[in-house]
This record gives sequence, C-alpha cells and structure tokens, in this order.
Amino acid sequence: MKKSILYIFFIVMLFTGCNSNIKNKTEIQKTSVVVTMPITSEPEAGFNPVYGWGAGEHTHEPLIQSTLLTTTNDLEIGYDLATNYTVSEDGMTWTVIIREDAFFTDGEKVTAEDVAFTYNTCKENSSVNDFTMLDYAEAVDDTTVVFHMTRPFSVWPYTMALVGIVPEHSYTPSYGQAPIGSGKYMLKQWDKGQQVILESNPNYYGTKPKMQQVTILFMEEETSLAAAQAEQADVSYTSATYADVEIPQYHLFSVVSLDNRGMNFPTQPSETKENGIVYGNDVTSDIAIRRAINIGIDRAAIIENVLNGYGSPAYSICDNMPWYQSASQVEYDLEQAKTILQKAGWIEAEDGIRSKNGIRASFSILYPPSDTIRQAIAEAFSNEMKNLGIEAIPECVSWDIAYDLAQSQPMIWGWGAHTPMELYNIYHSQNSTENARYSPYYNKTVDTYMDEALKSTDIEKSYELWQKAQWDGTTGITQQGDIPWIWICNIDHLYFVKEGLSIPEQKIHPHGHGWSLLNNVDLWQWSITEN
Amino acid sequence: MKKRIVYTVLFLILIMIIGYFCKDSAIATDFYHKNMEPSFAYPFGTDWMGRNLFFRTLRGLSISLFIGVIASTFSALIALFFGVLSVFGGKKIDTVITWWIDLMMGLPHLLLLIVLSMVVGRELKGVIFSIALTHWTSFARLIRSELLQLKEKHYIQIAKKLGKGNRYIFQKHMLPHLLPQFIVGWILLFPHAILHESSMTFLGFGLNSNQPAIGILLSESMQYLVTGRWWLAVFPGFLLVLIVLLLYCLGKDLQKYTSQK
Repeated sequence: MKKSILYIFFIVMLFTGCNSNIKNKTEIQKTSVVVTMPITSEPEAGFNPVYGWGAGEHTHEPLIQSTLLTTTNDLEIGYDLATNYTVSEDGMTWTVIIREDAFFTDGEKVTAEDVAFTYNTCKENSSVNDFTMLDYAEAVDDTTVVFHMTRPFSVWPYTMALVGIVPEHSYTPSYGQAPIGSGKYMLKQWDKGQQVILESNPNYYGTKPKMQQVTILFMEEETSLAAAQAEQADVSYTSATYADVEIPQYHLFSVVSLDNRGMNFPTQPSETKENGIVYGNDVTSDIAIRRAINIGIDRAAIIENVLNGYGSPAYSICDNMPWYQSASQVEYDLEQAKTILQKAGWIEAEDGIRSKNGIRASFSILYPPSDTIRQAIAEAFSNEMKNLGIEAIPECVSWDIAYDLAQSQPMIWGWGAHTPMELYNIYHSQNSTENARYSPYYNKTVDTYMDEALKSTDIEKSYELWQKAQWDGTTGITQQGDIPWIWICNIDHLYFVKEGLSIPEQKIHPHGHGWSLLNNVDLWQWSITEN
Repeated sequence: MKKRIVYTVLFLILIMIIGYFCKDSAIATDFYHKNMEPSFAYPFGTDWMGRNLFFRTLRGLSISLFIGVIASTFSALIALFFGVLSVFGGKKIDTVITWWIDLMMGLPHLLLLIVLSMVVGRELKGVIFSIALTHWTSFARLIRSELLQLKEKHYIQIAKKLGKGNRYIFQKHMLPHLLPQFIVGWILLFPHAILHESSMTFLGFGLNSNQPAIGILLSESMQYLVTGRWWLAVFPGFLLVLIVLLLYCLGKDLQKYTSQK
C-alpha cells in the first residue's frame, strides 16, 4: 500500500515536473512546420525532376531545385532562374538568359551548361513527361541557353516552369536519393515510407524562406486526422469525409482547386478493333444524349451531397485558367434536357428508361476502387440520370483495365494541371489514328485550333486560340458543340491548420492533394510565439 | 436437439432468401438520408451514400452463405475424393497425397487464397475457386484416417476374405459409417469458408465494392469509425460472428446427434 502511494506521488511529480519545464521555455518565433501528405505523394523515384519530381502526373514546385520560369498566382508566367526569354518568329528556337547569382548547395555556380544538361537528360530519360517537342538544348555561353525545337510549342514556358535544374557535375542516376539543387530548400533527411525533412537553403539567391524547416509526414487520411487531433502535425490534409470533425486549436483551411472530376462520353458508335478493345458506345455517340446529360445533372446537388459542399461546379477541364472558354458554362435545366431527348427520338419505355430504334439508353459508369469520392459521384450521377430516363450503372474497375474499358464506357476521371496541354491531351486526335487518346473523339476544327495555338509565338495570343478550340461560335467541345466530356465538379483541397499559422494565398491547386500546398511554404509564418 | 438443428437450418435458409430479395435495396443510394444513426426506419443506420445498412447487411450475409455453400461443398467433395483415393489407391498414391496435404497446410492460408483468387481473376469466381481449393486438406486427412480405421475392422476383413471387391466394401460397409462424419465435416467447413471470404474481401482481394459483401461493409466502415459512426462496423460485424457461431453450433449438434444413434 505504501509502495503504491509512493508510485502515485512519483508519477504526479513526473507530470508536474514536465509541465513546469515547458513553461520555462523562452518565447521564440517558431520557424518550423510539420505537414502531412498522402502516402502516394512520396516520390517513388526520389527528388529527381527527370523522373517526374514536380513535373510528373502531379505538378508542383520542386522546392529543392529552381526552375527557369515559374507560374504566378494567376497562372501567368513569371521568372525564377531566368531573367529573360525570347522565342524566334517560327517558334523553333527559344533563347533563355539565366541569372548569375545562383549557386547549388554544394557551392558550384548554376550555369547554362547545367540547364542544357537537365533538359537533354529529361528528353532522353523522362518517362512521365512529353519532351518530344524538344530537339536539343544548347548552352551558348555561361548564361544563355538555346532550346531547339522539333515543332513549334507555344506552351513551352509552362514546361520551363516545372522542370527543376540539376547540377551536371554531380548528377548520377541515383541523384533523386540525395538531390543537390539551387532551390529554396535542401533535403536534410528522408526516412523512406515515413517522412521528409527540408531545411532552408542559406545561399538561396531570392528572398530567404521565413519557414526554416519543413517536415513532411506521409500517412493515410485517417492517420492524418489523428495526427491533428494529437497535435502532432501543424497542417493535416483531409477530405470532405472528415471536414465536419472539430479539432480544438485547429481550423479548416480550404483551397480552391482545378482538381476536377469529369466523365468521358465516347462519340462514335461501338466497334471492336483488332486488339480486341471495344471503341465507342451506341448510346453516348448520340449527341442528344450528351447534351441532355450536360444540362440535366444538378452539379450543385452532387457537390452538396458528395463533397459536403466543399467544391465548385466544373464546366470544363480548365475552369478559372487564362485559357478557359466561358461559353462552357451551362445552367441546370431538367425540362430542357428531357425535351432534347424527346426530340431526338428517345422515348420513355414502361420501366422508365428511354430507348431509340431498339437501343436502350443504358451504359456503365466506371470508377476506380478505393476512391469513395468517385464512387459517390458515380452513384449520385446514376440517381440523377434516372430523372432523365437514362440508366447509368456504377461499376468498379481496377486501373489495369480501366483505360481500355473507358474507350467504350464513361468513366469518372480526375484532371487539372497548370498548362493548356491538358486540353490537347484529352481532345486532340492522336498522330496515327483519328481518335483522342482516352475516349473516342475527333473534330478537325478543334484539332486545327490547338495546332495553331501551339505554333503561336505569343503566349497571350495563344490563350485565345485555346479558347477557340473549345468554342469558336460554330463548333467546339461545349454544350453547343460536340460535348465529348462532361465535367461535374472541382474538389476543394482541405486541410486542418493549427491556429497561429498563416498561409498566404495559394495559387489554384492542380490535380493531386499533396505537394501543391507547399508551393509557397517559404512565405508561411507563425503569428504567435511558442510558450 | 433435433428441433434446434431444424430451426437453425431454417433460419439460415430464411436469411439467404431475404438476402436474395434485398438485391436492389442493398445498393440503392439516397443522398438525402446519409450518415443516419440507427432508427426505426433504418434499423442499422445508413452509410455515407445513404444506403440502408440493414438491407446491405442481410444481402452481405446471404452472399457469404451462398459462397459458403458452394465453396465448402466443392471442398468437401475434393476431400472425399482424395481421402478415398489415398486409402484404396495403393501405397505410392497415399504417400503422394499425404505429402501434398502437408505441403498445402504448411503454406500460409490467406496468402494461398489471395494468389489463387488472383489467378482466376478475383471477384465471385476467384473467391469460390480459391476457397474450394484450399479448405479440403484437413478434412481429407480426417476421412483418410477414418477409412483406415474402418479397413481394419473385423467385418470388413471378413467381407474381403469372402471375395468382395473394394467398391462393394466401400459402398455397402464404409459409406454408411462415413456419411454422418462427412456431413458434419462439411457443415464445419462453412464457418471457415465464410470468414475467409470476408477477410479476403476486407483486404481488397475478393469481391469488389459493387457488391455489399460483409468484408466490403467492414472495410468501408474503417474510414468512418474515426468520426464516430460505430453502426457501420458493429452491425455487420456482429451478425457475421453470429452466423459463424450458428453454423459452428449446428455442426457440433449434428455431430452429437449422429454419434448418439
């Protein structure tokens, strides 16, 4: 008995002792931050731009390396390592002047040689990015790089805003494991499968980062929530599922994104090709079906139901971008949608599903496994379609077969990147065949506008051509046009942020709920002092 | 005891029938009634897409039972075949079969299930195939030892001396002894098959998320447990355990009942 009292006393002492220790700490401005990210955000191939770091499927600032150009908050082009760039009349050569005061963290100067080396290595090795438009890069002198192109490519500045510059003198294939760059931060520590610690680069040529140390923890969504609840992370990523959880000392921070969800609708009748894959769909190839669906879905309701309101309606793949075509926007009008179907000869049968010439208005709506948001969108979409007399059957398919199946059935996709090339990837026909890559579609006029946009030498003017590719007054990919894809929503990126941490305005997030948040981590600041 | 056995069987059949009729209501979504706690209208509550968990659970149980019936029947038949073959097929075949059984039992069961299911292409057929092919081993061993025992019995020795063939002896003298054992063993395979189906599905290697299998319900609920939606996991989990226990008791009862005779 006596012993146990002693133990209790001892334990109590231990705790109170700890507390007084904390209180005695002197007040200092906190300059480190702990951020959680999804496990998939950990770069598999390391921090190597050649293998997709910052420039792969998910685009963001490479932080460790510096880029020639950068995108501003309005998605216009700004300067980073470059001080000036020009393009020749025919669009075949780009000349870039770089600054002289940039150094790698090992002390070597960043020269035009390094830049040329980076781009040539990317061209040879990159499996995640398209570099076929680049012939070769050449360093003319210490500060001048010339890019020789194989074809005019007006959106080249957007590529230059993504590719981090690596040092030629110390580059090896395992560079990504211990990267050396000239960016705002340096890699201090990387415990694979757990965390990455970045430390600010003291020799950085630009404004010195306010946040000295950034720790990134990779974890599942549930764990991320728990980390915030245990106050182990300052910024915890989350989703609409957990948005209504209240955590003391934390507030919900929502960033508008162009992380969109949309569906492809094959525009040609179904046909089995030699490779055994079915291309096209007899129902969705009728333009009346696509037009009716586009105005017949209540986007606001889907956002409210599936995303708990944390999203915005999407009308194109590039909402809010400088190349967005405002004609894409449509109003929800169920009656009008029904009229379109009725006029086109889709007559409702006894079971409530329409049909025309013996074809039932029925198709699958595919979604990938373990993505509850896409699953819920598919289900909600299916419910909406019943009002129209169209049967959409949600079906879960794994990614290994999804791409082939999507050639004949609509699927829920997620896109959104800071470059007009997204439009090209989705709507432009492929070289050899006459169909776009992800879903059968071909329109010569649309193709031509995009080709012209790429040939343009003025990026501002090219925006106009990208817009015309979407709708030029007579044809395009909008409601009045061919509408081969229908967009539903942009998903807000949500985070639990600890009180006192101020995060300045973010540039609109692309697809991918990971590194984009850290684009401006150097400007983050703690407004309160630690006590 | 007889009554108890009959009631249990009737109850299980009833669940299968109800589950059959819940097919559509188990997947119907209603976003205006999502995340509802259990109430009179929704006895088990609803999930994040407003699906009625009561129907989903029943449907899931009936899917599990259906898979259990098919897979354990096949498994039992395989076990019978190999058990009989190893006793009557001669020494060499016996060695090969016992060696094969040892090998199969030495491998981690769940891993084997997953690999086999992947080979056939997952989903329903993959699950049934892999469960049927991996559950016969210990049962086959049981049948083998039972038969070996019978073989040494006097009346069988006498029948042999009288010049009766293996087939005659098996059909007339051994099968009547074996049948009760076989039925009990078959029923006792059920709980194994059902639990393995659920765990495979839970891990994402079994049925896919279109089907409201119990494994899917449980793995879906994982995400929402943190937010306090306990009913998503409790009801399906509890009922799964209940069914498994029922089947186990049924097997045990049958065993007692047949040994009494």
